[in-house]
Amino acid sequence: MMQIFKSIPENMEANLYLPSMGTITQTHSLTRKEKWYEIQMPETHSFSYKPGQFVEVSLFGVGEAPISITSAMKNPGLFEMTIRDVGVLTENIHALNSGDLIGIRGPFGNGFDLKKFKGKDVLIVAGGIGLVPLRSLIHTILNDRKSYGRLIILYGTKSSQDLLYKSELDQWETHPGIEFQMTVDQPSPDWHGIVGVITTLIPSVTLDLENTVAAIVGPPVMYKFVLLSLLTKGLSDENIYLSLERRMKCGVGKCGHCQINHSLVCQDGPVYHYPELKKLQEAL
Amino acid sequence: MKQIFPLTFMTHNDIPHWISHLQKIENVIAPHKNGINSFSFGKVSDPKCVILNYNRTLSSIKKYFLPPKETLFSFSIDGKEPTSSKVEPINAIFLGVHNYDLEAVFRLDHNFLSGHAESQYLTRRQGALFIGVSYTPDEWHFSNSVLKDGEPNHSGGFDLFLHEIEDGYLLETLTESGQNLMKGFPLPEFDGDIPQQQSFNAHIDGGFEKVTDVFSRAWDSPVWESYAEKCVGCGTCNLVCPTCFCFNVEDEVDLDLKTGNRIRTQDGCMLRSFSEVAGGEIFRNQKAARMRHRLYRKFKYISQETGESWCVGCGRCSSYCTAGISIVDIVNDLIHDSNREIGA
Repeated sequence: MMQIFKSIPENMEANLYLPSMGTITQTHSLTRKEKWYEIQMPETHSFSYKPGQFVEVSLFGVGEAPISITSAMKNPGLFEMTIRDVGVLTENIHALNSGDLIGIRGPFGNGFDLKKFKGKDVLIVAGGIGLVPLRSLIHTILNDRKSYGRLIILYGTKSSQDLLYKSELDQWETHPGIEFQMTVDQPSPDWHGIVGVITTLIPSVTLDLENTVAAIVGPPVMYKFVLLSLLTKGLSDENIYLSLERRMKCGVGKCGHCQINHSLVCQDGPVYHYPELKKLQEAL
Repeated sequence: MKQIFPLTFMTHNDIPHWISHLQKIENVIAPHKNGINSFSFGKVSDPKCVILNYNRTLSSIKKYFLPPKETLFSFSIDGKEPTSSKVEPINAIFLGVHNYDLEAVFRLDHNFLSGHAESQYLTRRQGALFIGVSYTPDEWHFSNSVLKDGEPNHSGGFDLFLHEIEDGYLLETLTESGQNLMKGFPLPEFDGDIPQQQSFNAHIDGGFEKVTDVFSRAWDSPVWESYAEKCVGCGTCNLVCPTCFCFNVEDEVDLDLKTGNRIRTQDGCMLRSFSEVAGGEIFRNQKAARMRHRLYRKFKYISQETGESWCVGCGRCSSYCTAGISIVDIVNDLIHDSNREIGA
């Protein structure tokens, strides 16, 4: 049914596009290109969030961009982001320090549906900065470890200099509740780990196929190969979730930039159940 | 059609007096002539300059509810709380609107009401009254191929409607708001019928039912590529479409380098940069893919949820296309191509 304007809806927000000011409480560089931030929202604009959701981050005079939340929900209004310097906005955000203000709208998007993961073995496949939103899921699982089965994390980056959250990766390697493997594609001489693209790690992982749910996030080129590899292994479509990157300019389903076929990534995604995603011809 | 209010008659000479009467009630926005065959809606200052007999305006009345450029909020660069821009209800009488342009406004209503209701559009949308006028379809109009009520004299949704006849106009009153506009401007009643509708010159073969059917299997058609070869990717079709509402958001800094505005500007899915993400990946890099997306937006994606075509058949994208591409030709070619495929 087409909705035609009669009067102002009661639930209408005053201005969907107006950011609230958060304060950077902590920040440090993770690599040459990525920086981590902890943001505290004022009490008047605090919010809860789910792993896989994103916020719209503003720097006035420069612009706004969608950025994944990388932390697990603990205290309302406190969250973390990891931002790669890829353009004018992110370059300017990288120049900010603790105590600086930053514009935030959100959180937006659906996030991972934890009900589908609980009681199951969870396979996390992260390529490059795909680990940023997946870290939110990983932390959420670790905070409620007994509700989940095995936690298998596969992580691949271009080189060892690109590895994010290095001290955490060290903890994951020895954590009794995590089966962690990583690989780099272009190893430097000091790299002693596995070499190859992310799919290198998949064949050797043993999975309880009926009882495993996979969450995949990475660059566009990665999805086809990871999916092929997991499906070949026997994992069914039903057990796969992916998160997509698009240019979500508004976050509220209006601007049209993130649309894939009939689906607006900022509303229906960014996390998609693979059987749904398969119906979207333009998605992968 | 059942008359609730009596049909009245107005001569051509009455029109400027009537517009002056309306101006005493509210601002009147109506079509004006800008060139040999170029029309645009604008606020009426001299009622004699209003043109009621026109084929189409370059921009629809969309520009009053969704301006091509608008400020969303103002900021100071030091990062203090930004200030929301004040948006006012339009409170105007839109006079001389064609049926398809009101249908287009209803579609924008849907887009800005559904999901997150948007205050910028909906606030402006308040206080708009619509007076329609019948028109003679030219070579580009095809509204009856896509709309349930696409006839040039279809008055549904309007407050008042003018039916052009030889020596003047029949005025149809449709709502109480419309009746109120006529208080203090008595007109003789007309004892007769509303004139026959004018026929269209452009048609989609099989109408919207056929369009719905074809768009369920037109994805891989070679037709997209055949038109993409001609398309120059300028985005004019997006710019003039009365139901296109996509926008870009950016910051404009004032000359003092201390303050500025976050603005939104009209954007178009036919432009290459539209689907670009950080790092430079473009998800609809081919013109054929972008053209397909535009037509699927008009004929399938929103239509399958609402049962209505999001193309209203105004003919703007065809008549203003810089490469001479007609949307009717594309859709008819898709229909013929799919008929060939199923051997029909």
